[in-house]
Parts: sequence; C-alpha cells; structure tokens
Amino acid sequence: MSTLPTLREKKRYIAFEITSEQIINRSELSREILSSICSLFGDKGSSEINAGLISYDGRYGIIRCAKDQTESTRAALACIYKIRGIRISILVLGVSGTIKEAMEKFIQKLLNKESRPRIEN
Amino acid sequence: MSLFDAKFYDFYVHLAPDSALTRFASEAKRYGYSGIFILGPKIDKFGLSDLPGDFSIFSANEISVKPSRLRDEIRKYKDSKNILIVLGGDEETNRAAVETAGFDILLQPAKFNHVIAKAAVDNSVTIGFNLGPIIRLQGEARIREFRIMRTNLKYARKYGLKMILTGDPYSCYDLRSPREMAALAGLFGMTSKEAVDAMSSVPLDILRRKSTDYIQEGIEII
Repeated sequence: MSTLPTLREKKRYIAFEITSEQIINRSELSREILSSICSLFGDKGSSEINAGLISYDGRYGIIRCAKDQTESTRAALACIYKIRGIRISILVLGVSGTIKEAMEKFIQKLLNKESRPRIEN
Repeated sequence: MSLFDAKFYDFYVHLAPDSALTRFASEAKRYGYSGIFILGPKIDKFGLSDLPGDFSIFSANEISVKPSRLRDEIRKYKDSKNILIVLGGDEETNRAAVETAGFDILLQPAKFNHVIAKAAVDNSVTIGFNLGPIIRLQGEARIREFRIMRTNLKYARKYGLKMILTGDPYSCYDLRSPREMAALAGLFGMTSKEAVDAMSSVPLDILRRKSTDYIQEGIEII
C-alpha cells in the first residue's frame, strides 16, 4: 500500500563516483555503505538517515538518504576506505532532489565531458 | 558564492618515493584541492615534470623524537623554509613543542590543556586535526579520537587558536574531497565555516609566514 503524498518523506539523492583498485560489485558496496552508517551513527541514526543504494554501474552510482541527513551520509561515505581488502575512495559529485536530475546533472554531464575528446580524436 | 569555492590544501601527505606523484596530484586536483604538502623525502626526488596546471606542491618536515630532543630538533630545521609538523602525543611532547618558537603545526595532541593552549597562542602554533584515524578506525579507538578532537576544539575556540584539517593520505585511495572532510569535522562539532578556513585560509597564512619576505608578525619586506 502506498503512502499518502502528504505523508511521504522528502528524500535527497547523492551522486557519487568510486575510485578503487578493482571493481566492487553492487551487493558488497550496498552492504558496506549500510554498515559504515551503522557503525558511525548507530541503529537509531541509521533509521533516520534511511539510506539505500539506488543505482550503481561499477564506477558511478546514486544513494538515497533523508532530506536533512545529507551531511551525515557524506561523512559515512567518507569513512569507507576498504572493501574485502580492496582500497576504495568515494567522491560525492552532487546532491539532488530527484533521481533524474542527479543522473543528468552530475553523472551524464561527466560522461559527456569524458567522451568529447575521444570524438575529436 | 558558496563556502566551498576557496582553494584547499592538504598538509601531511605521506607518499612512498616510488609511488606516482603525478597520479596523486591529478587525483587531488580532481577532488578539489589546489595544493598538497608532502612529508619526508625531498620533493626533488619525485618527477615534478608533468603536473596538472595550477596545482602546487610544497614540502614539510615531520618531527617525531623524544620530548627531550624536540627543542634541538626544531631549532635545527627552523631556518629551512619547510613547514614543520610535530606529531602531538602525551603532555610532555606537547609542552616541549609549543614552548619552542619556530614550528608551525602541532598535529592531534592527545592531552591538551589550558597551559599548552596559552603557550601555543604566544608562539603562533597552529593546531592540527587528523581525520585519518576517523576514516580508518572503528569502535572504541574511533570514539577515543573523537573525544580528543572535541576537547581540542573546545580549547582552540576558547583561546582563538588556528586550526587545520588533514586526511592523512598515503595513496590516491585515501583522498577525501573538502566537502567530505567538512562533513567529518562536523561529527565532532566543527562548523563548516571553521572547516573551510582550516583547509584554505590557514594554510595560506602559514605559507605567507614561511615566505622569504616575511620577518615577523606585522613586518614584511615589500
């Protein structure tokens, strides 16, 4: 059953880019993000942050969080440094109110910028 | 204009001599930094050729010796134009460090008190917050680091000490962007304005003090 529109919680979508030694798969990353948030803010804090991995393709991805918890989510993402022995660093590209905008404004734009020099060549 | 439009610097970068400085520098630039301070070996050993534009690299010296030898060690390096960083520790080390004029940053002092804070103000020593342990540790050890930082922040605010933030990176996988650093600093009570100052204006001020034209506070060759 869907929630009433007026009672729906406001969310923010964080677009990020991963730099890692090897490719990390989706389930590992998702588990690591949740455990990082949990170890930093505890169970109560995690329930308020309401985080979830929306999409991820091996390099770019989008995470959902509560509207007023973007700073805490950023801090938790910064605390991820190793997954299964693979060193990793997460760079936040930007925060947006809709998935579409996060995709177009941050990720698509970067991909366009990267592909342009190749066309010139 | 956003707070985060300033130029950011990271002190306390450890790099192995054989690691690729060029890669690290271009990554740091992509993460939003305008300069780094490398510790240890002389920077001439690294190939400084193809660095990205408007990115600067400075060298810094880290002093970690016994408290009794700290004063001599600081005097030895005082005239070199490198940034001097003392790794804070127990009370004896901190006290010996802040009472010797001529060094710049006391990083992560564990037992901080009002006596050390006053001496630090007199010798214009900057206090450093090392976010590396917060990124890498978990549980009890991280709680201890947070507690140390909270007390240090309290003294720094009361006595108007200058603060810097560092992420203690060893490779390009340890870099964190300035906004993330500010978010981490927010966890122990630092406001984002303080965090931005700690990464942009305070490093620039230290650099100005280390330039050859600078003689003393308020006296400068023009």
